[in-house]
Amino acid sequence: MNETTLIGLVISILQFGTLLYLAALGETIAEKSGVLNLGVEGMMAMGGVIAFFVGVGTGNPWLALIAGAVAGAALALVHGLVSVVMGADQVVSGLALTILGLGLAAFIGRDLVSEPPGAQFSALDLGPLSDIPWVGPTMFSMTAVSWLALALGAIAAFFLTRTRVGLQLRAVGESAATADAGGTAVVKFRLVAVAIGGALAGMSGGYLTLSLAPGWSEGTTAGRGWIAVALVIFGAWKPGRVLIGSLLFGGLIALEPRLQTFGVEISPILLSMLPYVLTVAVLIAISIRSRNRPSVAPAAIGQAYRREER
Amino acid sequence: MFGYRFVRRETPLWGGQLRAFLVGLLIALLAGAVLLVLAGHSPIDVYSKMFSSSLGSTRAISSTLGRAVPLGLAGLAVAVAGSMGMWNIGAEGQIIAGAIGGAWVARLFPDLAGPVLIPAMLLGAVAGGALLALGPAIVRSRLGVSEIITTLMLNEVAIRIVRYLVNGPWQDPASNNFPVAPILPEQSQLPTLFERANIGVLIAAVVLLGVGAFTARSRWGYELRIAGSSEQTAEYVGISLKQKVLTVLVLSGAIAGLAGGLELTGSADRLVEGVANGWGFAGIIVAALALLRPSGVAAVAVAFGAIQIGGLAIKTQGVPSSIANILQAMILFGALAAAVFGTHTLVRSTASTSVSSTTAAGADA
Amino acid sequence: MFAVELDGIWKRFPGVVANAGATLRVRPGSVHAVLGENGAGKTTLMNVLAGGYLPDEGSVLLDGKPQHFTRPADAIAAGVGMVHQEFRLIPTFTVAENVVLGSGPWLLSKSAIETQVAELADRFHLATTPDREVWQLSMGERQRVEILKALWTDARVLILDEPTAVLTPPEADELGRITRSMADDGRCIIFISHKLDEVTSFCDEATVLRGGQTTAASLPVADLDAGRIAELMVGEATEVSQRRNRIEPVGDTVLDVSSVVVTDVRGRTVVNGVSLDVGAGEIVGIAGVAGNGQRPLADCIAGLTRTTSGRVTVDGNDITTDKPSARSAAGLAYVPEDRLGVGLAPRMTVTENTMMRSYRRLSKGPFIDRSAADAETDALIDTYNVKVGQKKSPIAALSGGNLQRLLVGREVETNPRVLVAAQPTRGLDVQGVAAIQQLLVDQAAAGIGILLISEDLAELFALSDRLLVMHEGRVVGTFDPDDATRADVGAAMAGVRQTATAGITVEGA
Repeated sequence: MNETTLIGLVISILQFGTLLYLAALGETIAEKSGVLNLGVEGMMAMGGVIAFFVGVGTGNPWLALIAGAVAGAALALVHGLVSVVMGADQVVSGLALTILGLGLAAFIGRDLVSEPPGAQFSALDLGPLSDIPWVGPTMFSMTAVSWLALALGAIAAFFLTRTRVGLQLRAVGESAATADAGGTAVVKFRLVAVAIGGALAGMSGGYLTLSLAPGWSEGTTAGRGWIAVALVIFGAWKPGRVLIGSLLFGGLIALEPRLQTFGVEISPILLSMLPYVLTVAVLIAISIRSRNRPSVAPAAIGQAYRREER
Repeated sequence: MFGYRFVRRETPLWGGQLRAFLVGLLIALLAGAVLLVLAGHSPIDVYSKMFSSSLGSTRAISSTLGRAVPLGLAGLAVAVAGSMGMWNIGAEGQIIAGAIGGAWVARLFPDLAGPVLIPAMLLGAVAGGALLALGPAIVRSRLGVSEIITTLMLNEVAIRIVRYLVNGPWQDPASNNFPVAPILPEQSQLPTLFERANIGVLIAAVVLLGVGAFTARSRWGYELRIAGSSEQTAEYVGISLKQKVLTVLVLSGAIAGLAGGLELTGSADRLVEGVANGWGFAGIIVAALALLRPSGVAAVAVAFGAIQIGGLAIKTQGVPSSIANILQAMILFGALAAAVFGTHTLVRSTASTSVSSTTAAGADA
Repeated sequence: MFAVELDGIWKRFPGVVANAGATLRVRPGSVHAVLGENGAGKTTLMNVLAGGYLPDEGSVLLDGKPQHFTRPADAIAAGVGMVHQEFRLIPTFTVAENVVLGSGPWLLSKSAIETQVAELADRFHLATTPDREVWQLSMGERQRVEILKALWTDARVLILDEPTAVLTPPEADELGRITRSMADDGRCIIFISHKLDEVTSFCDEATVLRGGQTTAASLPVADLDAGRIAELMVGEATEVSQRRNRIEPVGDTVLDVSSVVVTDVRGRTVVNGVSLDVGAGEIVGIAGVAGNGQRPLADCIAGLTRTTSGRVTVDGNDITTDKPSARSAAGLAYVPEDRLGVGLAPRMTVTENTMMRSYRRLSKGPFIDRSAADAETDALIDTYNVKVGQKKSPIAALSGGNLQRLLVGREVETNPRVLVAAQPTRGLDVQGVAAIQQLLVDQAAAGIGILLISEDLAELFALSDRLLVMHEGRVVGTFDPDDATRADVGAAMAGVRQTATAGITVEGA
C-alpha cells in the first residue's frame, strides 16, 4: 500500500464527508426544532441540478452553490408549509418531497446530462501549508466548500448551545406547548429551521455536482440523502458527533471502490450496507439507554403543533 | 403566525377524501402544465397522450392495471401498518426482498411445472418480505424503537443485497457481465389475463379484498383498530399490544413482498436491481391518499398506475417520464392542503381568541 | 391601593359560565388565598389575570393601572407570573436553561447562567441545583424551578395553582417559607387552594369563590373558622336535595377494598391505605376535591394501575393482580373519568364501541358476527336512550350525554356485580345528568353495588347511601347523607379534622 493510494483515500473520505455533513447538519437543525424532513434526497437533487445549471450559465461556482442552497430551501418550505403550518403528517409530506425533488430535478436536468461542468471548485491553495507531508495534500488541499462545511458546523454547534435563540429552537423541538407558553413563536422557528435544513441539503447537492462528481445525471445522489437522515440519528442530534459520523460513513463510501487495492476480499457492496446497519444498531442502543431517562431524540419530533382554543 | 391561525371549522366544508384527492389532482395538473409550458411542450398534447396511452383502450387499461398491482399491494402494506398508527417506510426494500425470495425459489427448483412453481415462488416472495420486516417488528414491539427509521434503513440494505447478488453469485453468465440474474424459467411467468395484464391483477385484487374484508370483519382486525386507538383503551379491553405490533408489521412486509413476487412472475423476466422501481415509496403516497382504506388503495393505485403508464408513453415525445413522479407528488401535496382547508379555516389571530392550555379541558376550577 | 384588582370579571365558555362577576383585591406584600371547590371558577379567574384568557367583561388592574393582556407574554411583561398545576418545563434541559428560556441575554454561557440562577435562588432562599436536568428532579424541586422562572422575569405578582397538591409535607412547609420571603420583598403571592390548613398556615387573607362569583372577599385568615369557610365554599347547610329511596337492608359485600396503597410513576403515594366496601344494592359515594387520589383509586380497582399493596376483592374473589379484562369477567364494571381516552375509541363507530366488552362472545371463529353486534347495539341504544345519528359514523360525533349513556349502558350490560363510576355526570347537560343518575339508581335497585366518585356534592347527597370523603389519598370521614350537612362534608374535603358526631364517622389519623 503506497502513499499515493492512501492519500487518495483520505481525500475521498474528506470529500464524501463534506457531502454528507452538509446535508446531515441541515437535517439536524430541522429535527432539533421538531420537524422530521425525509425529503433530503429530493432537496439534494434539486440543489445539485440548479447549482449545475447556474454553474453552466454563469461560470461562477459560488453563485451556483448559493443557487443550489436557495433551491433546496424553497423545496423544504413546501414541506414546511404543509406539515408545520397546516399540520399534515410529516412523514408523508417528507417522502412526497423526496419524490417531487427527484422528479423535478430529473425534469429540469434532462438536457444537462452530457453537459460539461461550467464551474467547479478547485482545491484551495494554502501556499506552504500544502507542502506539509500527509496533512498537506489531504486536509489542506480541500476545496473551500469543505472549509465552509466545517465553519457552518462550528457555528451551528455554538448557536445551539450558547445562544438563547438556539435554546429556544431546542425548546420548540422538545415541547412545543411549553415553548409557546413561554412566548416562543413555534411555527416561525420551525419554518426557519426547515428552510436552513433545505438550504444545507441543497448546498450539499451543489457540492456534489460542482465538485465531488462534476456533472449532472439522474440518480447522481445515489441514496446519499438517506445516509444523511441516518447520520442525524447516528450522531445523536449533535453537530459534533454528526461530523464524526459523516467522516466515518464517508470513509465507508470512499473505501468501496478501493477495497481491492487494499487487498481486502469483501465485496464492496456488502461494505456499503454498513452505514445503515450501524444506524439501526445505534438506534437500538439509544432506545435501551432511554428506558430510565429521556431519549436524546428531540421529544416533539414528528408531531404537528396547533395551539388549542379556549 | 403572521397574525393568522388555523381554526377548526364547526362543520367540515366538504366531506370526503375523494374531493380532496380531486382538488389535489387539479392542482397537480395545473402545476404540471406550467412545467410543460416552460419546457416547451403543449400540456394538452402531453396530457391527452398520457390519458390515451393509459386509459384510452383496453390494451392501455390492461397496462395500467398491471402497474396498479405493485402500487396497490405496496399501498395495502402501508395501510395495514397504518391502521395501528405505524409507518412502514420499508415497502421498497420488502418488495426487493420478496423478489429475491421468489428468484431464490426459481433457482432451487427450475424444473417444477408452472402451476407448482409460480405459487412456490410467490410463497418465497411473501416470506422474503416478511423476513425483512421481522427485525423492525421485533425491535418495535420489544424496545419501542421507531419503525420509521428501521424500515427505512433496511430499504438500503435490501437494495445492496440484490445488487450484490446480481453482480456476484447470481450474475447471469450469459449476460456479458451485466448486473442481471439469469432469465427465469418460462413456466414461472403468470398466464395472461387480457391484453397486457396477467392474472397477477386478479391475485392482487383478491389480496386487497381479502385483507380489507378480514381487517374489517374479523376479531383480529377489530382488536387492531382498538390498539391503534389508544394504549389505555387496548389495556382496558384486554388486548396485547406487543403481539399486535409484531404481527402487523410482519404482515405488512409480507404483502409488500408479494408485490415483488408478482413483479418477478409478471412484467419482469429476471431479477434486476431496480425491481422495486420506486413503488415502495409510491405506495406510501397511495396509502396516505386513500386514508388507509383498502378500497381507496385500489382506486388510488389504479389512478397512479395510469399516471405512470402515461409517463412512460410520453417519453417518445421528448418529455421525461419524471413528469409522472412530479404529478404524483403534487397530487399528494395538493390533497394534503385541500384536506386541511376542508376541516380548518384561516382566521385572523385576534385578542378574543385565547391562548393555549396544556391541561385537559374540563379540569379547571 | 391594591397590587392586584380584578373587578366584575365575566368569562363564558360554550355551555358554562366560569366566572360571573368575580372580584379579587390583593394588597401588596401579602399572601392571598383564593378558595373554592371544583368548578367555582378559581383557575379561570387566575388565568385571566395571567393573560391566558381574555375576560368577556370586567377589568384587570395592577397597582391601580388598567391592563389589557392578549396573551401570557403580555402578563409576564407586566410582572405577573403563574405556576400552573401541570408544570411547563422541558425535562431534558437543565434548571438554568429552563429559567432563562423565556427571557435573558442573547449569548449564554453555561456557567454564567448557572451562576446567575443560583444567585437569584439564594436571594429568595430557594434551594436549587441549576446544573441538573429537570427530569431528575422531585416535584418540589421542579416547582421551585417554576417559581424561579417567574422571579427571573421579576414577577411582582406570583400565582400558584394548587401548589401543594404535588408536594410532601416538608416541601409544603418550605414553600410557605419561600412565599413569605417573597411577600416580604414587596411582591404579592396568590395561592389557589382548597386546603384549609395550608391557607391558615401560609396566607394572610382569603377570597372565596363559588359558582363563578366571589362569596367572600379578602377575609383575614385569622378570622377564619373551618365551618364558615366550608359554608362559603359549598353552600348553605340547609340546602336539601332530593334523596332517593334506599334499599334496606343492603346485600352482601360485592366490592371490598382493603388497605390499598398506590404509588405513581414518580414514587409519590397517591392512595394511602384506603379501605372501603360496597354491598349489593348499595351506592357508596366518594367526595373530594379533584386530585386527592380518587382517580388513582378508581384506576387501581379497575386494573389500569398497579396496586402497590393491599387487596381488592369482588364477590369474594381476589382480583388484586388481575388484568382489566379479567376483572370484567369477575363482575366489575368501570365507567372511567376519561370517556374518550380510555372508555371509548373516538374514531371507531358506535357499534364497534358498544361491542368492546362483548365482541369475544359475539365472534364466530375468527369473524365477528356483524348482525348480532348490530342487534345488541340497537338494543343498547333503545334501552339507554342514546341518540345516535348514524351507527356507522365515528362515535366522537355524539354529544357528551349520549356518549356517557352508551358507556354506562355498555358496562351495565355485562351484568356486573359492582360498578365503579368515576365522574359519570361531569360535563353533561341537565337531561344527561338526570338520565345517568337514574341509570345508577336503577342498577342499584337491581342489586348491583355502585361506587360513585363525584365532584358534585348535590349528586352525592342525593344518591349515596354512605358518603366517604377522600383527602390526600385517605378516606378521612364517612357520612350518612341523611344526617350530615354539606358544610360538614365540605370541611372534610378541605382537610379539616372531623369530630365524631351524629352522622359522622371519623377514620383514624
